[in-house]
Amino acid sequence: MIKIDKVSRNYRTGEIVVQALVDVSLEAEQGEFLSIAGPSGSGKTTLLNLVGCIDRPDSGEIFIDGEPVSARNKKELAMFRREKLGFVFQTFNLIPVLTAYENVSFVLSLLDIRESEVKARSMAMLAEVGLDGKENVLPGRLSGGQQQRVAIARALVKDPRIVLADEPTANLDSKTGEDTLKLMERLNEKHNTTFIFSTHDPMVMDFAHRLVSLHDGRVISDERRTK
Amino acid sequence: MKFLLSLAWKNLSRYRKRTIITAAALAVGLGTYIFMDSWLRGAEKESERNLVWYETSSARVLDDEYWEQRDRLPLKYTIEEPEALLEKLAEKQIPAAPRIVFSGELILRKDPFPEDGSLTLRVLAVDPKKDDTVFRLRETIEEGRYLEPGEEKILIGAWLARDLGAEVGYPLTIVTRTRNGYYQTVDVEIAGIFNCPNPAINKGTVFIPLDTADRYLEMNGAVTEINLLLPERADADVLTATLESELAEVRPGLEVKSWRDLAQDYLAFAGMKKSATNIILLLVFIIAAVGISNTMIMAINERTKELGMMRALGMKDSEIRLAFLLEAGGIGFIGAVMGVVLGVGLSYWIVTWGVDMSGLIGDMDIGYRVHGLFRGAWHPEAMVTAFIFGIVLTVFVAFLSTGRALRRGIADSLRYS
Repeated sequence: MIKIDKVSRNYRTGEIVVQALVDVSLEAEQGEFLSIAGPSGSGKTTLLNLVGCIDRPDSGEIFIDGEPVSARNKKELAMFRREKLGFVFQTFNLIPVLTAYENVSFVLSLLDIRESEVKARSMAMLAEVGLDGKENVLPGRLSGGQQQRVAIARALVKDPRIVLADEPTANLDSKTGEDTLKLMERLNEKHNTTFIFSTHDPMVMDFAHRLVSLHDGRVISDERRTK
Repeated sequence: MKFLLSLAWKNLSRYRKRTIITAAALAVGLGTYIFMDSWLRGAEKESERNLVWYETSSARVLDDEYWEQRDRLPLKYTIEEPEALLEKLAEKQIPAAPRIVFSGELILRKDPFPEDGSLTLRVLAVDPKKDDTVFRLRETIEEGRYLEPGEEKILIGAWLARDLGAEVGYPLTIVTRTRNGYYQTVDVEIAGIFNCPNPAINKGTVFIPLDTADRYLEMNGAVTEINLLLPERADADVLTATLESELAEVRPGLEVKSWRDLAQDYLAFAGMKKSATNIILLLVFIIAAVGISNTMIMAINERTKELGMMRALGMKDSEIRLAFLLEAGGIGFIGAVMGVVLGVGLSYWIVTWGVDMSGLIGDMDIGYRVHGLFRGAWHPEAMVTAFIFGIVLTVFVAFLSTGRALRRGIADSLRYS
């Protein structure tokens, strides 16, 4: 479903070129619960950005459902992200002026879905992440864990093929982080959505069904785990 | 589109403080522009009114040779037996005031004046009974009284009186030449001191009765000009052309000049001044524009991360741009309404009560035919311009700022702090 083929990505800061990813190759099947692990600067976020089509590789290719990402133009990529991808960010990145319900429903509004269906799906998803009763609350009045749940609901409400989560528990305490991971795992199993999340936290790595480790932009291990 | 409109509205209403601060920056700029425009326009309008009321009248009948020589104030090119013309004008219900204009040397003697001295100035001989139908000098008498026919008295401006140390009842001598070129001395007494809003009249002109001047200057009833009061809304240029041909039937060899012809020196100067005024207004506009741009750029920059998130979730750049432009349009609209309300409020104050500038500019000639109280004038065009400009500028700045933010990579925007 996802094939990363010899992908490299460099960043230039003035005269200095930083190799964020070097010849990375990886494949992921539908419904995987995959963690990209590694220390800061190992290239985890860069790899997620490339899979999420919000960055382009300098060399190599990424295929999603057999189609090369590089063949798509900017508009097609936006539509692809809109329909097929869900994102969960480390800092939640909710729209502060929208309520929990509005933050979730807005991604459906972009998909030309009937208003009644938008409402039903958004409310159901909020209930699924344990936020029923919090629909009309603004993000600023929610705890970190609740905000991350809204972000997860936002990522999943459109029933995407892939959810990409960049350090989803980094801003949460360990108990809330664990709850969030359990929620993600449950949703992964229920919806068969592919989850790819980055982390450098050993507790988070323990949750992964598959653990890919990066170091200095290279894959150093790829292990499947049985729970 | 519905979602984008709703998002823009929510951003406006839920970031209330930011919306009000940004709109207030816009409002201050636009309000200042409307106020400045009202003030400067008021000074121009009042100058024109003071020209007509105290200096030029609406139009003037002259001998056709007089205009070329007008700077010398000649008594050679006159209107003989003006009664026939005055009758014709009365028939047409046009108020008319004959005058003789001549130059004279004013001689002052120590006691009662502080010291001996002389100065050359313009003397206007006016018919005390008819002059009021065209000019408004009588209303500006500050001390003493207005002129009576036949008396050997003069009126003097308050500024000139202050410079000379003159008071009502002080004697003066005017040395001049008669129409036939002989020297003539006229001993007069100050009947009154006027304080006219037209500084040109206030500082360099004295008035004596027409029949007194006629006697001393050997005019035999001739006058140098007949001043007319035309209806306020009439097109002076068209009316003067018609009048000229009608008066030619009574007396050939005359010409009628409109106040615009008579005040061409002032109007040329005012034209130059208008350029300077426009530069001042442009500067006010630029200051407002910089303030608005700065606030809008900051408002959009601080949301770079949000913008990156929206793009990551699949919003197209055009949709994001539209969302920000709708929001900026809302801020622009609120700011423009506030700006116009502020501008109208400030303009109302300056139109109704004015600002007394006498303490600041004193007797200084600043080019306008106004002194003391400066009043504003309503100028709806400036308000409409400011209103549209406010919205367009805000949207334009938002367009540029959003464009700049959209040029960043999505990943880069998400990292922005």
